[in-house]
Formats: sequence, structure tokens, C-alpha cells
Amino acid sequence: MASHLLLAVLLASPLVAVAQEQLANQTSSPSLLGRHQKYPMPANGDKKPWYRPRHVVLQTGGGIGMIAAGVGYGLGKDRNELDILLGYVPTKYAGSSLSIATAKYTYSPFVLPVGERWQVRPLTIGGYISYTHGTINDEEKGQYAKGYYWFSTDTRVGPVLGSRLAYQRRTREGQTRNISFYYELGSNDLYILSYVQNRKALSVGDILTLSLGLKADF
Amino acid sequence: MPSVFRPNSLFTYLSVAATALGLSSCELIEFSPNDHRSPDDKQALTTKNLTALLAKPLPARDTLRFVYTGDSQRFYDDAEDLVKSVNQQKGVQFMLVAGDISDFGMAREMWWVDDQLRKLTIPYLTVIGNHDQVGNGRKAYEEVFGPLNYSFTYGDTKFIMTDTNGREYNFNGRIPDVSWVRQQLQDNTVRRHVIVSHVPPQDEDFDPAVREAYVGALREDPRLVFEMNGHRHDFSIGQPFNDGVTYVNSYAFEKRQYLIVTVWGDKEFRLKQVSF
Repeated sequence: MASHLLLAVLLASPLVAVAQEQLANQTSSPSLLGRHQKYPMPANGDKKPWYRPRHVVLQTGGGIGMIAAGVGYGLGKDRNELDILLGYVPTKYAGSSLSIATAKYTYSPFVLPVGERWQVRPLTIGGYISYTHGTINDEEKGQYAKGYYWFSTDTRVGPVLGSRLAYQRRTREGQTRNISFYYELGSNDLYILSYVQNRKALSVGDILTLSLGLKADF
Repeated sequence: MPSVFRPNSLFTYLSVAATALGLSSCELIEFSPNDHRSPDDKQALTTKNLTALLAKPLPARDTLRFVYTGDSQRFYDDAEDLVKSVNQQKGVQFMLVAGDISDFGMAREMWWVDDQLRKLTIPYLTVIGNHDQVGNGRKAYEEVFGPLNYSFTYGDTKFIMTDTNGREYNFNGRIPDVSWVRQQLQDNTVRRHVIVSHVPPQDEDFDPAVREAYVGALREDPRLVFEMNGHRHDFSIGQPFNDGVTYVNSYAFEKRQYLIVTVWGDKEFRLKQVSF
């Protein structure tokens, strides 16, 4: 039920974007979303409306799902990317079936061509915020006194750092489209806090997570 | 990490990073912080520690001596020091941790505590606390440690470990499971009983609907030495219900103190406070 709701929200988000665009045009106020129009949209020359996602994403790990799928936008010559993902973890691995909605922003300052068709982005840095639905002992209203658990049980934020390898394919129209593989090492707010307060007993390795993913332009 | 900037290092960096950190990909590729898949040496720790304990049985009528502590939570550095101190103690047979092993109910946190406590020269046993039930913590606890209610007999004493974290179940009237506790207390093949749980019955996080039944069951038990709790992070001893039943509360790890409990005779005991 909840995962259906989240899915609906995800599917509806491009529509919301259209509505916001129209609103922005009417009032000519530079809303955050409206401003994206100013970016030279496709790095490879073809014209697409700004609100159309540039790529699809599939990821495993990184604390946001056994499988997480979604769409993403490239901003500023594609060096900045915003991905919106919906993840799933089966009961078998987490005790209950979890759906996790995630927004992830990454920046890759270096793009290095390798041969004609390949490209490496040696460094990707960024962060994510995720919301988990479906935990067993969710904080119910009135279950605890205010501040009983000072942290959120469902919302996590964290940094990511990784690399990416891309293959450039050409469409029949001669446009280039990237298919890339990436990995990211990450962590989350609670793990980082634990490490910061226990530098003797914990190592950086203890708090790291790994994600592996694929991105395909379309 | 200069290698990150070398383009040909993409795959090697990944594998080097993973192996250098001594982590298997299974642990690294975490599906969620609630993901409780654990490496082999971090599963069923209760069973493993009980096996280790019972491999050195305590002869009948011998004095029982154990370390009593609780609420390890995010006090990993303190845990390291506690282990060093406990390992200096002679004649202690095992250690009890009175719940709140974790702070956020995550399997990784339970691993981090075990990373320290497995350096003890004696086995340790735990009971589930309220923080261990945050999110999907109950499932993580079952995976990493074991059952939420269990008992074991060592020498002349039966230890009854039970989940009393009623608030985590929205006071559903079933926690603690008083019929299970009564059943355990009926065991008259042993000389003594000790009950260990996280939330003490006089606490506001204990289900008021079950309080009378639980306290009553303890009061009626002729073999009960005392009831032991954590949750309050500080040592106390007393008879809050004025019914002859003694309740002992543990220090939290952060208090950098623990108790050495010595039990002999029918119900004779002595508590020693140790700072570290």
C-alpha cells in the first residue's frame, strides 16, 4: 500500500514539474525548478524539455534498497546529477518489507575520455536523503514522550564518494547516449555520529556502505 | 586517497578499498540500516556464548560470580576499556548485559558492541532493551543474539532473561510474557532463580497493565534471589514494592563502573562496585 503511494508520487513528479513550470512562466518568478531551464540542456546537442529525466538508474546497496530504481536529471554539463530513487528490501533481510524513497545529488568534477567510446569519472561526491516506510516499530503518535528517541527512525542523510565508468553508444540519429556503471562508498548520519564519538573503538571501515549501480541515458 | 584520481584505478580501487577495510561485500552492500544480514561470526551469539559458558560447568554448591552491566548503546570506547578491566578480574564466570546493546536498533551497532565484548576472556549474555527494538531492531536482535525470552542454568542458578520493554509494544498487555515467566519460575530442580530484564517494573516504560501480575509472580517465588535491570543507567538496589523482592539496577557503560555479583548459599549475595 505504502509502496504504491510512493510509486504514485514518483510517477506524478514530472507532472508536478510541468505545473510548476507553467506557474513559473505565468508569474515569471524564478522558482528553483524553473531556473533549470537556463542550463544548456543536453550536452550532446539534442533538444528536450528540461523536466524530462535524462537517465534511468538501477542501484543495489548504499542503505537505500536491495534494488532501487528511478530517474535522474543532469545539470550543468551533466557534472551535477539529481537522482530520484525508489528502493525495496524484502522481509527476509530486514524483518519487514521496506520501501525507501531517496533523493541523491552527485557532482563529478573530472570527465576523462578513454579511447573513443569510453569515459571515466574518477571522482563523484555527493549526498542523499532517504525516507524508509514499513518499519515494524515506527514511532506512533503518543507512543513516546517528546524527545524519547532524539533521532529519526526513518529519515537518513549521508555522504557518498565514488567513481564511474561510461560507455558512449550512438543512436540511429547520431546522438550519443551514455551507459555507465558506478560505485559509491557512503555512510549515514547515525553511523557517522557513532564513529565521531568513538574514534578508538570504531574505524572508518565500520561505518562504510557500498552501492553498485547503472545509469542509462535515454 | 590519491588513487581515486587515477582513471585506471576504478575497479582496483573498489576491491582494494573493500579488502583493506576487511569487509566482505555482503556487509558493505547494505540494503538499509535495518538490514540485519550478519556475517557468520555475528549470528546466534546467545547460543554461542551459552555453549562457551556451559563448556566450563560450575559444580553444584560452588560460589557463582559474574559481572553485571547494561546499556552499552553508543559507548564503544567505554566498552573497550570495560573489557580490559573485566579481563583483570579473577574468578568471574561470565558477564551479563542488561539490554540496550544498541542505540538505534541496528544490526551494525550490535556487531560493534560484540567487536569489543568478544575480546572478553569470559562469555557474555544479553537481554533485549527498548533501544534494541527501535525500527526493526527486534529482528536484528534475534538475528545477532537470539530469542527475546530465554533461560539457562549455570551451577545452582537458573537465569531467566525476559523482554520487559512494554512501551515498545504500545503497552499491549502482553509484555513481559508473565505466563512464560511463571512457567520458568516453576522450575524447582534448581536451587535459585535470578530474573534479568531491561526495564524495571517500577519504571514508567513498563506496561502498567502487567505490573501487578509480574511483581506478584516474583513475590511468590521462594527461590528468587533478586530481579536485575538496566535502563536507568545507574546502580541502585532496593525493594521498591516493599514485598521482600530485591531489585538491582546496573551501571551503563558510560558510567565507567560495573558490578561483580557473588552468590552463594540459598540467597546470599554480595555486590562489588568496580571503576574502570
